[in-house]
Amino acid sequence: MAYVESLSHSGICVHDLKEAESFYCGVLGAAVHSRVNFKTQDALRGRSVHTSLMLSDYLFAIMLSEDWMNIPPLDQLRGENRIRHAFCVPKDKFAQILQSLRNHKVALEGPVTHPETGPFGESIYFRDPTGNFLEVVWRRDESASYNEVLPLGHGGVG
Amino acid sequence: MDLRRTEAMMLTLHSIAHVTIEVGDLPRALEFYSGLIGAPASRVAAWPVKDETALLLPSGQFLVLKPSANPRTLPESAVHQAYRAAPAAIDRILKSLSVGAAGVHRYHEDRLAEQADNCYFADPDGNRIQLIADAARSAPGIAAIDHAIVLASDMEWIEEFYCDLLGLVVEHRVGWNTGDYIRARAWGEGKEEMAPGTRRWDERYRDIPGAKPGQGRRLARPNMQIFLHTGESILGIYLSPVHVQESPPRIAVGTPRIGFWTDRATLERAVAVLGKTRATVAGPVHHVSGSPIGSSLYFRDPCGNFIELCVKETA
Repeated sequence: MAYVESLSHSGICVHDLKEAESFYCGVLGAAVHSRVNFKTQDALRGRSVHTSLMLSDYLFAIMLSEDWMNIPPLDQLRGENRIRHAFCVPKDKFAQILQSLRNHKVALEGPVTHPETGPFGESIYFRDPTGNFLEVVWRRDESASYNEVLPLGHGGVG
Repeated sequence: MDLRRTEAMMLTLHSIAHVTIEVGDLPRALEFYSGLIGAPASRVAAWPVKDETALLLPSGQFLVLKPSANPRTLPESAVHQAYRAAPAAIDRILKSLSVGAAGVHRYHEDRLAEQADNCYFADPDGNRIQLIADAARSAPGIAAIDHAIVLASDMEWIEEFYCDLLGLVVEHRVGWNTGDYIRARAWGEGKEEMAPGTRRWDERYRDIPGAKPGQGRRLARPNMQIFLHTGESILGIYLSPVHVQESPPRIAVGTPRIGFWTDRATLERAVAVLGKTRATVAGPVHHVSGSPIGSSLYFRDPCGNFIELCVKETA
């Protein structure tokens, strides 16, 4: 049976690439990894317009939507619009993220405390400037080691 | 240490000092631009670059003409020069132009600041000209250089160069938000006339399953643009949607060229800053007495455009 090991990366569609870059980098601490369709060679290939960002070891792309997307009312802070990205932070960094969101006047819900018997400790729910639903969570089992994932490009055995 | 951001704080460029364009027939170009200026062109006696003829504008900026057997005007691209003029002067220019009504284009504009100033035509060699209405001007013709456009093969690199190294500030972006892509479809459907270089047809290298009509393999898209502010001028940078042959990298002084005023301390600092990049640099060159430019630093930006920093006073 074929199976997948883990989530490699994801894409988040946005309405304004610069605004999204400023949010994910300036508020959440991401770093720009690369941009696509800012060069002649990309234009010639008709590539999509997106910026790849790194949040710690997680790679995701903010992708410029070429159509207006249906966005739930912005006063709804917690939910999903087909998808919600939840970013994990160590418990001792949770307060720092919360303060950064407050410093940047990002409307948020939480912290919400989860049941002590579950894997999640607390979550904060908020939206990015486009209106994508986001969550930051710390895990009660953050010291546990699960399946070790080898880095990409290790070459395998063949 | 982040070299770019710390040293950029020491560089301050002012407004555009000159635009130097290529023309095929100098007497014809002088006659044409004298008509735009509204008076016999005042030729600068001691312009520092050989074979270039500089015309003084009322703003103290210069329009410089460089004869060339094959003028590099890039008429299919977004490259153009925009001049400020009184509304009455624009009316006079448009009535007197030999280009006729068919040669004057009223393109829709992406940049809010230009939406009332969408008047374009070309000089006899194909250099595209835009006129910007400025009620504060009283000259009979074009009075000042408002902005100039260059092409870039790498928008990230060139933005870092101009903003992080030379201290220019982004005033407007096109191609970064969904609304720009929605508007580009109107151009693709023939509903909007846009200036060359502002829109493009992208050919995806594979079909998109389930795509709606017009959103499949061939897409109307905005061509990425940034507008950078310096002094009272704007430098517009457009992504080149095709590869354009650059001059050999060793050449630092060439045309088309855009000059920016600066002060001597910045000029000296720029020598050090640019020297730590891969830019081709020449100078500073100290010009002869009587020249309107005391010293120049010539260089190429990362995409091969010829740039000059100019200091008025002599060393």
